[in-house]
Amino acid sequence: MAENGNGSARPKVAFFDFACCEGCQLTVIDALQTHLELVEAVEIVQFREAMTEKGEDYQIAFIEGSCTRKEDEDRLRKIRAQAGIVVALGACAHIGGVNALANLQPSLQDVRQYVYGDKWDWYNTYPARPISAVIQVDAFIPGCPIDRVEFLSVVKQVLLGKTPAIPDYPVCVECKLKENVCIFDKGGVCLGPITRAGCDAICPTYGDGCEGCRGLIPNPNENAMQDVLLKAGLSVEQLRARMTMFNAYDPAQIEA
Amino acid sequence: MSLWIIDKSAMATFVANVMGDYRVVGPKAKGPQFAFDEIEDPAELRLDYNTSILPPKKYFQPQEERLMTFKRNGDSAPEAVIEAEATVIFGVHTCDLHAMRVLDQAFTQNFPDAHYLTRRRQALLIGIECLEPCDEHSFCKSMGTLTISEGYDLHLTDLGDVYAVDVGSEEGLTLLKTYSDARLATESDMQQLNRALSAKWPRFPYKLELDVDELPALMSQSYNNPIWETLAEKCLACGTCNIVCPTCFCFNVYDEVDLNLENGERSRRWDSCMLDVFARVAGGENFREQRSARLRHRFMRKGLYLVERYKHLGCVGCGRCARLCLADISPINVFNELHE
Repeated sequence: MAENGNGSARPKVAFFDFACCEGCQLTVIDALQTHLELVEAVEIVQFREAMTEKGEDYQIAFIEGSCTRKEDEDRLRKIRAQAGIVVALGACAHIGGVNALANLQPSLQDVRQYVYGDKWDWYNTYPARPISAVIQVDAFIPGCPIDRVEFLSVVKQVLLGKTPAIPDYPVCVECKLKENVCIFDKGGVCLGPITRAGCDAICPTYGDGCEGCRGLIPNPNENAMQDVLLKAGLSVEQLRARMTMFNAYDPAQIEA
Repeated sequence: MSLWIIDKSAMATFVANVMGDYRVVGPKAKGPQFAFDEIEDPAELRLDYNTSILPPKKYFQPQEERLMTFKRNGDSAPEAVIEAEATVIFGVHTCDLHAMRVLDQAFTQNFPDAHYLTRRRQALLIGIECLEPCDEHSFCKSMGTLTISEGYDLHLTDLGDVYAVDVGSEEGLTLLKTYSDARLATESDMQQLNRALSAKWPRFPYKLELDVDELPALMSQSYNNPIWETLAEKCLACGTCNIVCPTCFCFNVYDEVDLNLENGERSRRWDSCMLDVFARVAGGENFREQRSARLRHRFMRKGLYLVERYKHLGCVGCGRCARLCLADISPINVFNELHE
């Protein structure tokens, strides 16, 4: 194991991807360029998007993407068996994300035909799920994409041997701390009141309502949120679309 | 102490002169609303603002602040960090001046808070009298905060072409004399001020259906009122009411280390008792797990607990929480409903 400036061992880290756009890994690559000390702190042995080498000896695995195929479960289990710590990277791995929208369609065969046309039967699939539905996950970095500052914070907590803590309060808190004009006061709608913070309220800050990419806070008052959204002028269809864009996954979808 | 007069046309020069020696902050337009911010050009200062999104308490207890730095190897003692600079705050409404008295108590009693008090000592407060209600959400008159006779260094009242400037401290007088060409008020200025002040009262509705002095007693009888359950059905527990409140002062403390795990910083950030995990303690127990319990706690703080501890109500009627509450929960309605 290589050593860092402290003389202590640098943990070996690997990155993996499943059904995703790889945007979270791009954010990691970006963070590696803006925070060079990250390269000093860990030894990256596998990162398909960023390097050719492919080491199988690692202690920490970052996994981006949802599990959308039965055959991917084995690969996930192998990663789990190797890694001491598994971190879900981004909305797809954390909560299923946009992939789980397919689960709401009447049949997955329709979805495959819509996406792949007459080649639909070349591509297997099953209901999309967060990786925690397949393997035990030790920490989550929410978001679509992840927030680089939060990524760095989670890495530091793992290096310190702590269980990484992510915010368990809503986006409204961060948004008000920044003294933003409320999106609802601008005539928009926003899921900030029930969505997990940690993004520094980036969407409301730049004028867009929150779409819930970081998942919901613990014990959200979803009924009250829906009342607020309907009162703000959303149709029932729009309400459903807003509430399910990132949060369509329900464990009941993968039962049976 | 003494009453002075400054021409409105001379305010820009006053502000610009002060800017030479102090950080100057005051209400500025923020989209369709207003926020206290650093004034870089006197023309930005909007003393005619209705209300600000956050109260000016952020200059004494910033949303987030470093408290100390430390080394993880323990080679040296942690070092306190106090970031403060000489600041003049223009345009503080009387509700927020009343709120400062609560904060002064909270950060002085038992454990004097060096961070808050250092900033407080380095700041001058210039109040401004409200002559009309800011909007339908405020209820300052009900809470007894529609005017104030102390707690400011200078206090402005708009008299048309001029501001009457009431001097509240020696520092305020020095500031006024050093940086402005204000003149002492005459007998007729004082009469004009009195007319403006007496004319304003009927413009503000008294919205509380009981005498404000009876509020603590009402709250002490309301612990088991079913209203908390009813409100909890529509409350989002988003914490906005706490964040925008001028008398909320709770904070959470965080440690963060750098990537080489050698140097760390301890910071604090505003916290909110409406949040799910506010009352979670070591071991995982959460003694206000229900939204209804958190709502009740917040209103008890405002109407009862703070009076018992600091002799001032925790609600100054600024209306910020009601204005931003997506579930339309307003303290004045809650107090009145409890009174029924």
